Amino acid sequence: MSLLKLQKLALTPKGGQTRSNTRDNKAALVFLGPWLLGSVVLVIGPMAASLYLSFTNYNLLQSPKWVGAGNFARMLTDTRLHHSLEVTFLYVLIGVPLQLGAALGLALLLDRGLRGLTFYRSAFYLPSLLGASVAIAVLWRLIFGGTGLFNTILGLIGIESTTSWIGNPDTALSTIILLHVWTFGSPMVIFLAGLRQIPVEFYEAAQIDGATTFQQFRGITIPLLTPIIFFNLVLAIINSFQAFTQAFIVSAGSGGPSDSTLFYTLYLYQEGFGAFRMGYASAMAWLLVLIVGACTAINFWASKFWVHYED
Amino acid sequence: MVAVVVLALYPIIWMIVSSLRPDGSIFSNPSPAPTTFHWQNYQYGWNALGTPFGRYLLNSAIIVLGAIVGNVITCSMAAYAFARLRFRFQKPAFGFMLLTIMLPIHVMIVPQYILWAKADLVNTFWPLIVPKFLATDAFFTFLMVQFIRGLPKELDEAARIDGAGHGRIFLQILMPLMAPALATTAIFTFIWTWNDFFVQMIYLTDPDKYTAPIALRSFIDAQSHSSYGAMFAMSVVSVIPLLIAFAVGQKYLVRGIATTGLK
Amino acid sequence: MKPLIRRGLALTAATAFVLGLAGCGGSDGPAGDASSVADPVATVELRLYWWGGDARHERTQQAIDAFMAKYPNIKVTGEFSDWSGYWDKLATSTAGGNSPDVVQMDQLYLASYAARDTLTDLGAVSTLDTSQLEPAVLGMGQWGGRQYAMPVSTAAFGLLVNLDVLDQYGVTLPDTEKWNWDDLKAFGLEIAEKSGGAVAGVAPMGNEYSLQLFARQKGDNLFEDDQIAIRPETLAAYFQHALDLAQSGAGPSASRLSETAGLAIDQSDFATGKVAAIFSQVSQVSAYTAGSGANVQIVKTPSFDANQTKYEYFKPGMYWAMSAQTDHPEEAGRLIDFLINDPEAAAILGTERGLPANPAMLDSLTATLTENEAKAVAYSQSLEGLLGDAPAIVPNGASELDKIIARYQQEVLFEQRTALDAANAMIKEVKDSINSAA
Repeated sequence: MSLLKLQKLALTPKGGQTRSNTRDNKAALVFLGPWLLGSVVLVIGPMAASLYLSFTNYNLLQSPKWVGAGNFARMLTDTRLHHSLEVTFLYVLIGVPLQLGAALGLALLLDRGLRGLTFYRSAFYLPSLLGASVAIAVLWRLIFGGTGLFNTILGLIGIESTTSWIGNPDTALSTIILLHVWTFGSPMVIFLAGLRQIPVEFYEAAQIDGATTFQQFRGITIPLLTPIIFFNLVLAIINSFQAFTQAFIVSAGSGGPSDSTLFYTLYLYQEGFGAFRMGYASAMAWLLVLIVGACTAINFWASKFWVHYED
Repeated sequence: MVAVVVLALYPIIWMIVSSLRPDGSIFSNPSPAPTTFHWQNYQYGWNALGTPFGRYLLNSAIIVLGAIVGNVITCSMAAYAFARLRFRFQKPAFGFMLLTIMLPIHVMIVPQYILWAKADLVNTFWPLIVPKFLATDAFFTFLMVQFIRGLPKELDEAARIDGAGHGRIFLQILMPLMAPALATTAIFTFIWTWNDFFVQMIYLTDPDKYTAPIALRSFIDAQSHSSYGAMFAMSVVSVIPLLIAFAVGQKYLVRGIATTGLK
Repeated sequence: MKPLIRRGLALTAATAFVLGLAGCGGSDGPAGDASSVADPVATVELRLYWWGGDARHERTQQAIDAFMAKYPNIKVTGEFSDWSGYWDKLATSTAGGNSPDVVQMDQLYLASYAARDTLTDLGAVSTLDTSQLEPAVLGMGQWGGRQYAMPVSTAAFGLLVNLDVLDQYGVTLPDTEKWNWDDLKAFGLEIAEKSGGAVAGVAPMGNEYSLQLFARQKGDNLFEDDQIAIRPETLAAYFQHALDLAQSGAGPSASRLSETAGLAIDQSDFATGKVAAIFSQVSQVSAYTAGSGANVQIVKTPSFDANQTKYEYFKPGMYWAMSAQTDHPEEAGRLIDFLINDPEAAAILGTERGLPANPAMLDSLTATLTENEAKAVAYSQSLEGLLGDAPAIVPNGASELDKIIARYQQEVLFEQRTALDAANAMIKEVKDSINSAA
């Protein structure tokens, strides 16, 4: 509900009525045609099904049985669920700012017409190409294991350590967060594309007015980039709440050691496919939608204070 | 800067070096310095799964191609509507679109599978391509909405005064300016589709239709012997198209507006 | 804009074309054609699905070809996945009414599928001969009195000891015929001390099979009447054993264990010589030594009392089961029969899925067994006097059992729970899970 209200804020053009009230319903129908068809045929059905299943006991192999709010009641006492929420919130709160910060910083650096730009851009994107492969699971163990590269490097700078960063429940989550930050390439590319879209005319005009580089950065680059910053922020939060692959690969699907990397969707997956409790998994999915929806709504609400649109 | 480059390059170099090591020594050696040149991994890996690995790459390429074309066309259309048009139910529609990316795939896959099974299209590429032609990747629609909203509206209005309809404004005014966004969409679609394991694994049953990520996992078995060397070798082979795609695609991350007159 | 799109399309098309050439270059022709041309009278099509690695894919495909040569009217398509993908896909395709006809099955999942009417009772399939297997082995393919799965292979459980490592550090293997759990710990400590910590002695047990045996040594059953039946004290002793090994230094540390938990067995610490002894299904000895070539001896599991008997049993490594959704149960039965009972198939499949459960097939392979496989066979035969009845299989609702055991064991090892606390919590969790599935 609140989500819709806040969409309104985001979609209302700034400065009130800039255009007449004529609507473009017909044109919209054409442009949205494929999406509407897709929503009706491929999306709404399965979504409704998952909502229905969240009120049932569904083991995938037999017809679902209605259990009312039973699944949601079970959530209240499910300590693994509470724990997975904790892990996921930590991951979002730490991982998202770190990753976006790194991505934005490097995108700005790269946009300054560095020599060898193409090389850097490709190099920085590499981790994102590999981020989900089985090879990375092996590599991460070699780096953050007890006899791994990380401890070797610590040894070189005089810190003796035999901790298995990946095998210890206190530090395993940090290694996954690092893995996430390390794949900063995707938001970086989006930032770069955003920077590239800022019309050069703006900078030319500013130079004529005698603006310094820093003034241009503050007055043109950042405001015009805000829609893209906003996009990356919204999507990074949505995606981080659904973090799955990295933890799945590194912990071989367990979320271990002793549940320290049990992300919410990893637990959801274990419940749905491992334990054949797809009804409960569906209920978990809708709880996630509520949480992520609320975060997104807050984001949209806050955006009116800092995001600048050209329309 | 150099440190970041090293951090970013280390894994791929290690991966290439590992692909040239015999199975046994991959796990004990994090060093990126080549010690052996066990080329047999490539030869063995290419043929180990009964069908030459090129077949899996080809299947991946077909799906990727379809996905890119679909996403670029239909997501940009939907984005234009959300960003520039005013229509009934606009806000609920936009909210609904965002909602669709908040549900984890794992609870959607079974109902969707049942739909495709009813249509008798399991074990074809259609379940992997058709959704992209129906703009179901809300990520890209939202991305392009944000890009379009960052473009000066005077452009559209000037064109409208010249008598241009929505079709012309979209195709001739906005599309050229959106080159960076379209390139981003194409690159990401390529990479994400190329690496997507779960959905492809669920829908494709005949090994002749398997894709590269499914094949890569078939080298590893937790309970018996695994061919890690071959897996690494084929991982390197399957990363090459990604590198090419990225290297080529990023050229379009150009300053789109600089090339057009705005007078 | 047009040039942009056109160039983009041309580029992607070119990439696809190049890849296409690469694909054709490697094969002699389109892969799909060969089988359909060879088989003009095919009337029945079957799908066979398994999990495994590349060696299994190759051999099974060859066995399928041999089957189709023998039965030209049946066309079989082989499908394969990795272990975790396998179960996701099997569940999804079963939900979609699109299950493969013959599927590889594991003891963890057998009851979960059988209890939900998704498997065919093989006892009612006339084309399948079930009589060649030992009744005790066959019994572990039954649920609710019906034969829902045919055991493919059986495995005994034992301790694998790396003799090369013992030699290197001058450790002698104690008398393992009569040893108990304390002897094992002392053995592990000796290795750790003499190697100066370079080799961790004995890795602890941590799965369903070992817990079954441990419970049976204590006079318990892990499961009875489709419910968990192990006493909390027994389960606590099992966890405590792992904790003692880790804390005394007789085994790997807790964090080392969890770091290596997800590794494939040929990459495990035992395979790379960092652990001197490990509990395992003995048929996996080949995989454990594939990388190192180490000389491994299989020895008896310790017990509490040297005169104890009747606790051992052979566990089916995996099964073939038939989907209830198949349209061709007779032909599917013929396929299973071929894979289990036909010497031609046995010769092709070898011991890749473990030692064949069909004694006649195992005999037919005797001449071709490797040294390690022969050790596994000899070890299994040496257990004859200790064998008891087959235990109840893992009930419906407990298919996550191995993961659950590993999780609670980790909590004990990291001292987040006491052994007894973990035992009680685990029993409750398994009980709830079984109840909610019923």
